[in-house]
Amino acid sequence: MNLDATWSGPGDRRGRPRFTWSGLLWTLIYPPHGQRILPTVPGLVLIGLAFGIGTAAYNSASNILFITLALLLTCLVLSGVLSWLNFRGLRWRLQLAPQLRAGHDTVVALELANLKRVLPTYGLWFEFAARPVTAPGRAHADPAGAGSGRAVRAALARAEASEQRGRTSLPRRLDPWGEARVEWVIRPPRRGRLRVELASVGSLFPFGFLRKDLGTDLAEEVVVWPAPAAYRWHPVATARRTLGHERLARAGTGGDLLSLRRYAPGDSHRLVHWKASARTGTLLVRQFAQESAEGLSLWLRTDAGAWPRPEQFELLVSFAASVAEDLFRAGRLLDVAIDAEPPGPVRRVHELERLLDRLAYVQPRSEIDGTVLPPAARHNLITFAPDGARGVVALIDGQLVAAA
Amino acid sequence: MSPRVLHRPELSADELQQVRWLLGGLLTLLGVGTVVYMDIEAWTLMVIAAGATLAVLYRPGLPARLPAWVHTLAFPGIVAFFAADLWLKAEVLPAMVRLDMLLLLYRSVTYRRRREDLQIIVLGLFLIVVAGVLTVSLLFALHLLVYTACALALLLVVTLGDGGAPGPSGPVVPGETPAWAQGATWRPLLRRVRAVLDWRVLLLGALLFAGVVGVTALLFLAIPRFQLESSMFLDRIITKKARSGFTDTIRFGDVSEIQQDNSVALSVDVSDQGQIPSAPYWRMLVLDAYADGTFRTSRGLRHQEFEAPQTGTQLRGTLRPRPGEPVVWTFFLESGVSRYLPLLGPFESLRFRDVQNVSAAPRLAVLALRDEPVSMTAYRVEGFDLSPALPDPTFAQAWRRRQETGARTFLQAALPEFSRPADRAALDRALAAATDGQKLPAGEFARRVSEWLKANHGYSLAPVIPGGDGDPLVRWLVSREPGHCELFAGSFVLLARAAGFPARIITGFRGGSWNGYSNNYTIRNADAHAWAEIFDEGSGAWLRADPLAVAAAMEHDTNRGEAAVAARLDRSWKARLDSLRVFWYRRIVSFDQQSQVETAAAVKDAATTTVRALRARLVALSSSLHDWATAPWDASRLLTVAGGLAAAAGLAWAWLRFGRDRWSGWSRGRGGRRGDPVRREAGRWLHLLSGYGAGAEERQAVIADLQRVRFGPQPTWPAPEKLFRRARQAWRDLRRQRSAARR
Repeated sequence: MNLDATWSGPGDRRGRPRFTWSGLLWTLIYPPHGQRILPTVPGLVLIGLAFGIGTAAYNSASNILFITLALLLTCLVLSGVLSWLNFRGLRWRLQLAPQLRAGHDTVVALELANLKRVLPTYGLWFEFAARPVTAPGRAHADPAGAGSGRAVRAALARAEASEQRGRTSLPRRLDPWGEARVEWVIRPPRRGRLRVELASVGSLFPFGFLRKDLGTDLAEEVVVWPAPAAYRWHPVATARRTLGHERLARAGTGGDLLSLRRYAPGDSHRLVHWKASARTGTLLVRQFAQESAEGLSLWLRTDAGAWPRPEQFELLVSFAASVAEDLFRAGRLLDVAIDAEPPGPVRRVHELERLLDRLAYVQPRSEIDGTVLPPAARHNLITFAPDGARGVVALIDGQLVAAA
Repeated sequence: MSPRVLHRPELSADELQQVRWLLGGLLTLLGVGTVVYMDIEAWTLMVIAAGATLAVLYRPGLPARLPAWVHTLAFPGIVAFFAADLWLKAEVLPAMVRLDMLLLLYRSVTYRRRREDLQIIVLGLFLIVVAGVLTVSLLFALHLLVYTACALALLLVVTLGDGGAPGPSGPVVPGETPAWAQGATWRPLLRRVRAVLDWRVLLLGALLFAGVVGVTALLFLAIPRFQLESSMFLDRIITKKARSGFTDTIRFGDVSEIQQDNSVALSVDVSDQGQIPSAPYWRMLVLDAYADGTFRTSRGLRHQEFEAPQTGTQLRGTLRPRPGEPVVWTFFLESGVSRYLPLLGPFESLRFRDVQNVSAAPRLAVLALRDEPVSMTAYRVEGFDLSPALPDPTFAQAWRRRQETGARTFLQAALPEFSRPADRAALDRALAAATDGQKLPAGEFARRVSEWLKANHGYSLAPVIPGGDGDPLVRWLVSREPGHCELFAGSFVLLARAAGFPARIITGFRGGSWNGYSNNYTIRNADAHAWAEIFDEGSGAWLRADPLAVAAAMEHDTNRGEAAVAARLDRSWKARLDSLRVFWYRRIVSFDQQSQVETAAAVKDAATTTVRALRARLVALSSSLHDWATAPWDASRLLTVAGGLAAAAGLAWAWLRFGRDRWSGWSRGRGGRRGDPVRREAGRWLHLLSGYGAGAEERQAVIADLQRVRFGPQPTWPAPEKLFRRARQAWRDLRRQRSAARR
């Protein structure tokens, strides 16, 4: 969780201009950006009533009707004042994990705090939105379609289709000096970068005449790792490959830190990695390497010529990520290389996370140096190849070991 | 976040639904309750609707027992009822009111969603507004305020109950009792509501509601007015019905019956209190014909005296404007009193608040509206002639020329045709006894006959008319039984006519009380009265003859103005309540474009005066300060100043030491308690240590622990004594470092 996320909202005093009556009056005339007030059905009924009673009052000069008209208008004013009081002193911040997994449910938490001294806050709802962030290199002008309404509409429709929206209500009263937490569950559809934002905070409080929406600029961008792919190992080839020549780091009682894993009952308290536990919010223990193990390397090639179909390429990335994670958990992953890059070691958790971060952004590349050789041309090197129009297979030294 | 606040309980969704149901029922009761003062034939419906609402409030599970066909047939049935009502009675507004009540009835006995709650609010508001427009009653203001408070509370509960999010609420399944209605009991709910409510929020709510009333008043004053004087008005589509005894036919006892009612009939503002008569007679009707115990305005007199009706707001009187500022009398006549307007006599001009259709009888000093007003009628009269004699030159001329014109019948001089000759003989004997057989002038005749009547009869609101044949009035006249004002006045008229004087009965009000709070005359129905007028040929005027108030009539010219006010001053609680009514009529109901301009001018004047006064006071204060400072200083002055400064410092110290914490406790909902002393001690050390920024590691650790004690949950605290020792040590280290740095 991002514990350092900053607060925002009406109750956040930082960066807020000093209160002035002229400023307040101006905001009544020209609301701030994103703030929207719309009448609801009861509000429309009230306005219609006020209009009808006002017409009758002017036609009849009846002061009774003028009083009723004044009372109805005052109720609208009161509604606005109470709504303003309801939002006053309220602040919020987004809390979500720094990495998400495509296809997996994730909780987006919004922490709320009411800084008012006396008044509680009621009846809020929160509109969330999550949309993939296009990589800067991929955003380019479409010379043919520029200015074309259809193209713009299509682009908008695509953007809308890729966007997830949701609404969560604050079910209970938020007392003065109180805190609350609301959650929104999203499932990122694909890997990449995802922008999660609190689009608006709305309320019908107090009387339901007006729907007030406060637009916010609260947003967080997070990395979405590739979705796990279902694959199967080729048993024969796998059995034969277990006797590789590369040294393998395995969990054991050696001196080198291999990785971190969840705490299990019976683990020594001395093995708890407090810093990582605090960072992830889960109790983790150190796992040390055993010196006498064999390992595997992984080489991912993103040649666009080899992977012309986007779905197949996505499967490739998911497959590679899943294999890398499984091998890491088994303590058999040595290093990983992508295209012509030098292989990087993946023996620790943060190295695995860095790899998954890379895999979140990786795209087919059309210009790959064909002279590039497999990293170090070592044994036990896992590569990937298309399997028909849809599938992907993993090979070790040209022999099939797994298929997805 | 700090756990310094006491967490109050919160109503559950079911409890919110129960509150919602309660408020909806209350709104229904308030809505249908308007029938009480609306004077529309819907009492049966009101009783049914109120009873059904109370029943479902008492047992919220009852609506589930309604069979499905009731829901199916409800709306067709209501529409059919409305159509039949309209067709049979041909009264649009009463039919709409009854339709509204039926809809309210149905909504109140069925489970409601947000939409149906809104319908209840709108339906009830319609009834209240209609009642207010029709009656212009002060009760309307109270009713509207209570209704608004309940409606806003209901809307608030609906918003909270629906989770604050827009969208349709859940469906209502007929025949199925919702969970909240199963076993709902109100007493535990009220206890829960009381536990949930915070007095500070309640106080703020009360202040806000007072603000609503204030802003409503301001808006009411500020809404621009245009005198369109259009004719669209609700009271024109309602059938009028006289409730008053003051009609043009009065039987014996009618006026006395009105006297049983102590409610206000009339309120009168006077621009010059010096003109107030000691015993004002507010005349309304002139009755000239008598037959068999009933006085009435004869058709002949009506045709003869009443002018053609005219529509408008202005009416010119028979008196010519006199030099000087005229005395203005503003009348607020309650609904249901009469269509005849109370007047003190002839006048110069009259102006109505609203357009009226009115017939005037100038020689009778009588005005009649075409329709019975169902709401308060306001009118201003300028330049009353307050004399007890009503000049009638036309009648005087005709009366003088009666010998020349032959045997002309004078309506106001004709004796009734008694069925028995013995009645006439008894009347003559009574006349002879009253006047000793003398031929007297009108004024003396009136005095002697009045005294004779008072000598022979006592006053009683429960008169006894002796049995027997013949005219009942003559029977009472010749008896010694007590009677009421109608019998006295009627007997006087018979005796006067028997003596050859034209005479007639006047009905209206006598007297009233002077409200010491609102400075106006208040005339109640209990002041209803009947008296007589006798024509004096010598002066050519009708003289007032009130057998029951001879002394007051004689004092008329000698006891006016302040003395009259003092004699009738009323400063009771009832007068205080009546003053509210007068305020309502003066400032609200009669508010118009002219009043708006006057109010704006008054506000401007008040603001100017206030600013001037403030400025003058500031100048005076500054001058006196200057004088004080430049005066010679001696020991006593120095001591005074030092004492004042010490007192101020002491107050400041007391505030910082005790008051601030206490105030903070109140404002944070701890009910004035000062909070945990350990937390306060931690806060004190935090205040001392945290002013020096980041420092040694030990000090930072101490600050972290102090923060935990100050704000954190108690189970996580370190040992406070040890922590405070560490804090003291850290503070000493700091001081030592600072002094070393200075050296």
